[in-house]
Amino acid sequence: MSGAAPKVRIWDLPVRLFHWSIVLIVPAMWATHELDRMDLHILLGQILLGLVLFRLIWGLIGGSTARFSGFVRGPRAVARYLRGRGGPIFGHNPLGGWSVLLMLLVLLTQIGLGLFASDEDALYEGPLSHLVSYDSARTLAHRHETFFYVLLALIAVHIAAILYHRLVRRDDLITPMVTGRRAAGEDGRALAPAPLWRFPLAAALAAGATLAIVQLL
Amino acid sequence: MKHILLGAAALAAVATAAYAGRPAAPVIQARQANYKQMAAAMKGINDQLRGGSPDLAAIRPRAALLANYGVQVLRWFPHGSGPEAGVTTRARPEIWSDWPGFERAGARLLVAARAVNRAARAGDVAALRAAMPALRQACSACHDDYRAPEH
Repeated sequence: MSGAAPKVRIWDLPVRLFHWSIVLIVPAMWATHELDRMDLHILLGQILLGLVLFRLIWGLIGGSTARFSGFVRGPRAVARYLRGRGGPIFGHNPLGGWSVLLMLLVLLTQIGLGLFASDEDALYEGPLSHLVSYDSARTLAHRHETFFYVLLALIAVHIAAILYHRLVRRDDLITPMVTGRRAAGEDGRALAPAPLWRFPLAAALAAGATLAIVQLL
Repeated sequence: MKHILLGAAALAAVATAAYAGRPAAPVIQARQANYKQMAAAMKGINDQLRGGSPDLAAIRPRAALLANYGVQVLRWFPHGSGPEAGVTTRARPEIWSDWPGFERAGARLLVAARAVNRAARAGDVAALRAAMPALRQACSACHDDYRAPEH
């Protein structure tokens, strides 16, 4: 070893905190349902809603690699990337960018279904289920159960992609998502972080929006 | 002639079995429909209590339904309306093997539902809020002991 390779920042702290919170909370959502701890399930669901809203806000005002404008690319860029002619990538690749959007959309849909759902005895109800009838709340609860498999499928694809990058392309994606750093490329690109004050601002906005949704509606 | 008699006897046996099995189905279906009405009534009351100004006109008929069904509930479980009926039911055999326990669970529901109904008729929202947890607990305690899981 001739010393460690130079490293650059790639993922800012909010992106990493969001990512690993999701990794913890989604299995916890499953477990609380299986263990019939629906009180915790409903509480965690509201926290999850806040996290996803935070990520959407951070996608507008966060660091360069967190922003939708930076990683959401057109179909031509995706096709070029898939043919291996996209040039060096920094941050989400054009295909991965769409999977981020899809993941957020699927999470939001799953949370949205849960907000209006009720259990069969009307003992545990999502915070917005008072806006719909018992029958609708039950239908949405069944959709909520079924749609979980869409989320599972997406998680499977996500993990498969990470394994593919690790085993075939020899690119470790997990360590940078933990440390926020990766080996510097030749083009010298690095994260352009957002000002620090935006993190509490985005967190406060997300928390406010979540409380408004679950309390006031 | 002997064959005809045997055939007739077999037919009668099958018919009797089918007839004996039949009455359980409507009983079970009616029971399930009643429980659904109770859950919908619970939700209706919850929906009103969630806001700052509950509509008592919406609460009263639902509270009355819960109290009325609380009186009837033990009668929804005649012998033979358990899993042995061959119709999908989550009623556990313990209902009949532990009938005194099931009666106590039913009595607990009735007491709790009557308290809710009394508060609703009196228009006492604070008392209504205070009475709801006992009703929820009566529901879930009985379900824990006497109702099979959904899957």
